[in-house]
Amino acid sequence: MNVPVNPKLRLELLHERHPGLTASLGGAFFEAASVCLNRHHDSPVDMNIVCNDVTSTKSVDFPRPDARVLNAWANDIDTTETGAYGVSLAIMEDKEQLVAVRRAETLTGADWYVAPIGIEPDDLESCFRLEVSGIDVGGQLAIATRLRQKINQTRRGKSNLPAIASVVGFKEKIVALEKVSDEK
Amino acid sequence: MTWVELHSESERLAIEAQLALNARAVSRATELYKRAAELEQKALDQLDVSKTRTRGITAVSAVALWFKAGEYVFAERLAHSMLADTQVPDFAREDLRDLVQAIWTESAKQKASVSFVPGQVMVSVKGGEVVTGGAPLDLIVDKVQTIQSMFYRTIEFVSGVSHRRVGRPTKELQEACRPWLFQSAPGSYQFSVAIQKPAQLDFFKQDIEPERIARHFLEIVSASSGDNAVELERLVPDENYRSTFLKLARNLSPTGKTFDRIEFRASGEAHPVTLSVESRGCINQQLRKKSTICSTADEVREELRGILRAVHLDKDWLYILVDGVPKQIFGLQEAVDDVIGPMVNRSVIVQAVRVAQNKLRFVDIELAE
Repeated sequence: MNVPVNPKLRLELLHERHPGLTASLGGAFFEAASVCLNRHHDSPVDMNIVCNDVTSTKSVDFPRPDARVLNAWANDIDTTETGAYGVSLAIMEDKEQLVAVRRAETLTGADWYVAPIGIEPDDLESCFRLEVSGIDVGGQLAIATRLRQKINQTRRGKSNLPAIASVVGFKEKIVALEKVSDEK
Repeated sequence: MTWVELHSESERLAIEAQLALNARAVSRATELYKRAAELEQKALDQLDVSKTRTRGITAVSAVALWFKAGEYVFAERLAHSMLADTQVPDFAREDLRDLVQAIWTESAKQKASVSFVPGQVMVSVKGGEVVTGGAPLDLIVDKVQTIQSMFYRTIEFVSGVSHRRVGRPTKELQEACRPWLFQSAPGSYQFSVAIQKPAQLDFFKQDIEPERIARHFLEIVSASSGDNAVELERLVPDENYRSTFLKLARNLSPTGKTFDRIEFRASGEAHPVTLSVESRGCINQQLRKKSTICSTADEVREELRGILRAVHLDKDWLYILVDGVPKQIFGLQEAVDDVIGPMVNRSVIVQAVRVAQNKLRFVDIELAE
């Protein structure tokens, strides 16, 4: 009997497809995502993606991190956040054909802006701002709650700048995404 | 050069700076942030005023980069000039104000003759009798004391120190990691708390990042405030520490009489961890689930409201004055000094079990006011 294989989600070499990423940062996103997935799963793992209320499944391959990588990503919170960026950008590319084009600093970190593949905008007027959050062990309810918080936060945050909120649950193998505004 | 070219180069440098910071190469990160800030400010100058969103985002980005480079004068000057610009959109205005607040606090810290571990916690006490920039002194003194206790407990917990039931933290810890209170721009009643950097470089164990103390503190408050017992267990596996953190969080939470809520946020973080009247209810539920007191059929649970007159943790009793009548309650079990101590001479609610006609056994205590 043939077991159907889910289509792949590519976490590796993100910088080759997302013009806003450098090779080192793309590598860091992939490494962090691998560390987060490896905490709970073996590769490959099927992740459920809930994108604007439509659910699909993608298979994710990731290398088993060695001791050096685990040591470099020993900080759980930062690793979960960085890994969530890697997964969210890969899904954005796969499901919405959007890639990271720009980054802008904020007081505590940086915001990422995404645009349709092939378009390199010369300003941020019509880019989508990406609002990402990672949850290591929380269940479906925690993921849904966090997504709701992110959506509210995004609505309050950058006025009517179109945005996408994304929450990645690594243990639960769920990614929930929602476009917050379709303006422009 | 165009905005795209300048901003792209600034982005590249900022990414390198972030990676350098992750690798703890602080001086290289600072230099990279400075170069990124210079380019971002030039990029901002290239933008036409009609590009409102791009201008707002770039302005915030440039100020944030100057701030991260530790160039507070440049950061403040640019932030003020952008705030004076009527074309700057509201979202950017809000971020710029937060940045100005952070710049002032960091500048004040720089002027103090001590160093602080990176990261601080902004505290806002809101509602009820609290007005913009003013609050009843006893309320603020009480909250500041409890926040100090929580910080010390957090430092002890992350440092692997055994749970302390009586007394204050060691003198060594108090001197090494003294919490400082900084005034913040008024908005309700606000202040920020920063932790003095230990002079002894190896004060923290190798695997502890001192800059994470503020984050740990906020995570613990956040997990304590809701009904997510699993998250709190993950963060604080030690049951004694968990119980103490829950009780300290309850001491911080409002009853709704003098104030409505207390908010905590990392500097620059727009979205706070909030302790409200509802949080107090959630914390009580978590604590009561944990209560291991097994009452027999002839033991009756009682709630006593009165003034806490005396506590003796070593001799295991407390005195409460109920309608002028003193009641002694035994068996304080896991009650700890910094939770129960600040309640002396204040109105409290004590949960107890009557085990004999004149004998009450302690279950729990919380502030009534």
